[in-house]
Amino acid sequence: MLALAGGEERLEAESATMRGIRWLLAVQLPDGSWPAYPGQDEGCWVTSLACLTLHQLGVAPEAVTKGIDWLGDAWPGEGRLWQRILRRLSSRPAVTRQNHSLRGWSWTRGTSSWVEPTACALILLHNIFGPTLPRRLAKRRRLAEAMLYDRMCPNGGWNSGNPFVYGVAGEPLVGPTVWALLALQRHQERAENQRSLDWLASVSERTPGPSSLALAHLCLETYGRPTQELEPALRRLYATNEFLQNIPALAHAALALDPTRTWLQVSTKGGGRS
Amino acid sequence: MMESASRLSPSFARPNSRVAIRSAKNYEMDLSALLVETLRELDLPVRGKTVLLKPNFVGPDPSGTINTHPAVVAAARESFLRLGAAKVMVGDGPALERDTEAIAESMRLREYLGPLAASFVDLNLDEVHRVPLRAGASSLRELYLPDTVLGTDLIVSMPKLKTHHWAGVTLSLKNMFGIVPGSCYGWPKNILHWAGITRALLDINSTVRPHFAIVDGIVGMEGNGPIQGMAKPCGVLVLGDDPVAVDATCARMMGLAPERIEHIAQAGLLLGHIREQNIRQFGESITSVRTEFAVLPEFRKLRASA
Repeated sequence: MLALAGGEERLEAESATMRGIRWLLAVQLPDGSWPAYPGQDEGCWVTSLACLTLHQLGVAPEAVTKGIDWLGDAWPGEGRLWQRILRRLSSRPAVTRQNHSLRGWSWTRGTSSWVEPTACALILLHNIFGPTLPRRLAKRRRLAEAMLYDRMCPNGGWNSGNPFVYGVAGEPLVGPTVWALLALQRHQERAENQRSLDWLASVSERTPGPSSLALAHLCLETYGRPTQELEPALRRLYATNEFLQNIPALAHAALALDPTRTWLQVSTKGGGRS
Repeated sequence: MMESASRLSPSFARPNSRVAIRSAKNYEMDLSALLVETLRELDLPVRGKTVLLKPNFVGPDPSGTINTHPAVVAAARESFLRLGAAKVMVGDGPALERDTEAIAESMRLREYLGPLAASFVDLNLDEVHRVPLRAGASSLRELYLPDTVLGTDLIVSMPKLKTHHWAGVTLSLKNMFGIVPGSCYGWPKNILHWAGITRALLDINSTVRPHFAIVDGIVGMEGNGPIQGMAKPCGVLVLGDDPVAVDATCARMMGLAPERIEHIAQAGLLLGHIREQNIRQFGESITSVRTEFAVLPEFRKLRASA
């Protein structure tokens, strides 16, 4: 829906978007969250995307507010008291090297913080509130941004969220790197951002996946880095495997080809919602 | 699904399992002929069935040391079709990398299988249905699982022979984590770690029973697997009609004691055999192909010699 919103106005796109809005509103759970599939009784990471999409389409502000309230309360599992006690008491050497007090958002309720759901929540908060967040969300943002930097791979870029396992540096991946960089746009001069952009630029042209290619292009352009023309490369990839009929890959391609990208813009309203 | 494979029964009530170890020096040899011969020997009922080959695609792998090699996947597809399967699909849901096509292209899967849109399913993004879990080993109770998996007659787990930094080894049982869709549970599927790897593995493998396993041990991985370990050439394919027995056999080949690997030991109670006397061995003997795999210090206790 976000991808369709940026394209040329066409009747079928409008009709699909209307159906999508009705469907999103129908499956929102009473606590304000969204499940990954209808029938699931717990909300998850897609809540950020649902809120961002509805907000961008300018509809259902109450549903968006409920979703954001849920996100504000949805703490990942690693911060639970018994988890902290267990870690303190454990005699086993730490397998991963990361600061568990820095928490973002998890993929599913009560599990650990990971890069992508954290980044998506931050993008939503920037897009809706701008730099001035309500106090409890400001705390979440501070922790989440610190968590992302803590989870960065030593030579730049991000993987899903384990920069070190058994003392070995993790390899970054395009997707998580893009989402983290987009979420950390307001710190774009920081050395970590620039190092990660350097890594992304070094791999972007030779990535063989359409989703990675499109996202890398979108991110580099957003940061004002030089890019090559995207459409011919996407056409070549589509001719090869039809993107594996992968809807998210098609959506990423459409988002990357649309220069407006209002969903990535930081709100100038500042605290428009509470 | 096949009736016999859906039954949970204690080890004393189960017939012996059959496992074949086949020497395969490299990925260039005629692996299809080797697999057809072995599948015929094991008399797997394939004719008219829909088959899902579930390889282990972890991440971009241009060097061929991380993922199940595409030559083995292609040979398996050809073999099942030659034996009369109605349809053979290849599917996986990688745990860390969302761009599955990037993984497939990095490992040249298309060169072996042809255009992927027709033959490959990204299980992370497939349509799903809610499935109650049978063993009740973990707190999960239910999972949403891909329709491609639920609708197939015969599931073949096709891992690479590797050590694993959380589970000790990653073989045909651990490979089934890949059927859990990222679209529901994320990348990685962290809910399975929180439920406990062993318990989640028991739940998944008892609910969606892989009917057969083919392990790519031509080049395995030792040390800090499943991604950052070292290549370990072993020159074997391991096949069998009981994934638990296949994994136990692989562990013995790697110099590890299967009864010390928690998830294999637990699976040996209800899902398959791990005792050598209950596993009918075909092809090479374990002794003739045994080669010690390096393990992280955490897992030295798994060694058969420990």
